[in-house]
Amino acid sequence: MPESQTPSLVKSPRVAIIGNPNVGKSTIFNQLTGLSQKIGNYPGVTVDKKVGRMNYQGSSYEIIDLPGTYSLYPNSEDEIIAHRVLNQVSEEDKPEFVLMIIDSCQLSRGLFLATQLLDLGLNLALVLNMADIAAKKNITIKSFEIFKALGVPILSTDARGEKGLDQIRELIHQQNFSKKSTFLNIEEIAPTELLSEVKDKFGLSNFYQAYQMLRFGDKDKTYSVEDRKWLKTKLSESKFDLEAAQLEETKIRYRKINEIVEKTVVKTSEVSPKASIDKILLHPVFGYLIFGAILLLIFQAIFAWASVPMDMIDGFFAELSGWVSDQLPEGPLSSLITDGIIPGIGGIVIFIPQIAMLFGFLAILEDTGYMSRVVFLMDRWMRPFGLHGKSIVPLVSGVACAIPGVMAARNIGNWKEKIITIMVTPLMSCSARLPVYIILIGLVVPDEFIFGIFNLQAVALLGLYLLGVFGVFFTALLLKYILKSEEKSFLMVELPTYRAPRWLDVLMTMFNKSKTFVFEAGKVILAISVVLWVLASYGPPDRMDAIRAESEERLAQASPDDIPVIANETSSLLLENSFIGIMGRAIEPVIKPLGYDWKIGIALITSFAAREVFVSTIATIYSIGTDTEDELTIREKLDQQINPDTGEKVYNTATAFSLMVFYAFAMQCMSTLAIVYRETNGWKWPLIQTVYMTVLAYCSALLVYQILS
Amino acid sequence: MTITADTIPHTRAAIIREISDSPLKINLMELGFLPGKIITLHHTAPLGGPMAFKLEETILALRKSEASLIEVQLL
Repeated sequence: MPESQTPSLVKSPRVAIIGNPNVGKSTIFNQLTGLSQKIGNYPGVTVDKKVGRMNYQGSSYEIIDLPGTYSLYPNSEDEIIAHRVLNQVSEEDKPEFVLMIIDSCQLSRGLFLATQLLDLGLNLALVLNMADIAAKKNITIKSFEIFKALGVPILSTDARGEKGLDQIRELIHQQNFSKKSTFLNIEEIAPTELLSEVKDKFGLSNFYQAYQMLRFGDKDKTYSVEDRKWLKTKLSESKFDLEAAQLEETKIRYRKINEIVEKTVVKTSEVSPKASIDKILLHPVFGYLIFGAILLLIFQAIFAWASVPMDMIDGFFAELSGWVSDQLPEGPLSSLITDGIIPGIGGIVIFIPQIAMLFGFLAILEDTGYMSRVVFLMDRWMRPFGLHGKSIVPLVSGVACAIPGVMAARNIGNWKEKIITIMVTPLMSCSARLPVYIILIGLVVPDEFIFGIFNLQAVALLGLYLLGVFGVFFTALLLKYILKSEEKSFLMVELPTYRAPRWLDVLMTMFNKSKTFVFEAGKVILAISVVLWVLASYGPPDRMDAIRAESEERLAQASPDDIPVIANETSSLLLENSFIGIMGRAIEPVIKPLGYDWKIGIALITSFAAREVFVSTIATIYSIGTDTEDELTIREKLDQQINPDTGEKVYNTATAFSLMVFYAFAMQCMSTLAIVYRETNGWKWPLIQTVYMTVLAYCSALLVYQILS
Repeated sequence: MTITADTIPHTRAAIIREISDSPLKINLMELGFLPGKIITLHHTAPLGGPMAFKLEETILALRKSEASLIEVQLL
């Protein structure tokens, strides 16, 4: 490009990377940009916008990684983004150059998209990736023939994206992209007058852009209502059949590509097909057993490895709170920081180990090619419930934590299937429910064996997990009949060749997903924690002051042994009289039929922050003190609670089971709420979800209590 | 005789004759299911689950209903 063009000197040139799914696009992007990449969101949709910087020989380039797609005709949100950026719809994302990655073994499919890009009039260069794999399959590509036919620069690289990478950098640096004349004459398919009208109206540069505008302009909500209406009227006036045109375009394009491919691809000898490992991995019986075993292994690893950093984070933030509170003068500000903000941030950070590890494993499964096999195996079982084969990933992630599960749902292309998946994933029994289950089961289920082998407590725990699974499928079925969508569900996935995971890509996924969670969901979580802190630490001033004054008085007269007891009793009284305490009392009539008293009501409200908070709240209410590590103490204390009206135990079997069922179903996790908000782009679905889960929890707990009591 | 791709026996090669009209026709064609191409059935998930076909160098999984849109002739 001539240097006289000042804009390119002021702003670094922008290069978009595009390609079919599974062609190693992200590997090349990661290698070019490394840690400089930023993940944002495209407006109006939940698609990651991956942008990075490549620095080469003193110049800087902006690289955009577009979602994989087979054509310019989008089937999902992901593909709409690729379509929109490449059509240069928004000035902000407009790339100067396009680097198209093609799988050398899939030349014709790659060229299909590449020639569409040519027709759009983009500055293009092609990368024939996985040249080494093609060589193994005895496929030779005469790339000069492609160059002759298309007139754009061509490079080749190997699957790991190491060989040929410098050439890619050099190509970008030299700005060696070219804009060749069109490949397919769109006037063969669409009426010229219509095309030129659209072209003039929107100031487009060629007829193929005009054709794309006709096809998608009225569906893209980033255009003004008038423009969309104008397009619609034009279309109906001209009686131009877009779908027939698209089929026609596909046929002609592939025919022309075939002519090129026949000249360029030489397959010397057929490689004798090796016995595929898929014979076992996709086996109707062993396939499922192996999938189950892999899941078990992953969860084992997550529970074993994530708990160490989680405990460290927990400890660190507790220390930090303590340290800050020693530094600051006592008062509301100190309390806000040490009891509100620091634990709030801690509550966000504590999820990172689980999210990072889960996404690490998912990235490995994805990268090796196993994930699409899982989709293949599970689709039949998910479909009757309105879910997709891809829903299995969020659902199994939900056993560890709903947050990465909900985040993983964005891979599902179909809107309805994605919403159902997001709605049901938090019903899987996540690891945060475990502490609540363990305390309550320990309280009411005897530690005995039935039939000499099954531990009753273990059976009860298993039952709660199965209850979660039941809740998932029941809710999915319900939503399947309620939600309406005209979008057609389809599977059509490639089962790529197995290969070793690329660790850089895996690490980048772990890093990026954790970062997204912390910075996007973190805001909402922090805000809710501060609100909960205010409600728990403040109450009607006269009552709070009276409690504090009395406590001072007692402390002044107390013997050293009594001081911790009085301190615990004071914090219990303060919580009871705080706004949350008042709310807990207020909801007592509502929760009484479930077998709960107002003290449990307080715990229900505070555990909206996170389910495990139940344990610490209960500890405060019953003046156990801050040492909640000791489950036995809590359990004994709970066992001693007597209902003043009936003289019976508060935590009898019926109440405990009712509580467990409530915790199984209720949306008591603000982090999940925050991530659902982010993934669905608004408050509508998180609110519906919260209301639904609360109602489900209430009704189920009511049923359980009424039957058992 | 033309049959649909969901009924072809395992590992028997079949040549695609036509793709039936359906909203999914274009998706199938974009993936490379085009008249004249040869496909072989490699794997089937149990109970009428998805089917995996080899098409040129790739394995593509389709639902049974999607495979039934592909009209083929056994070779």
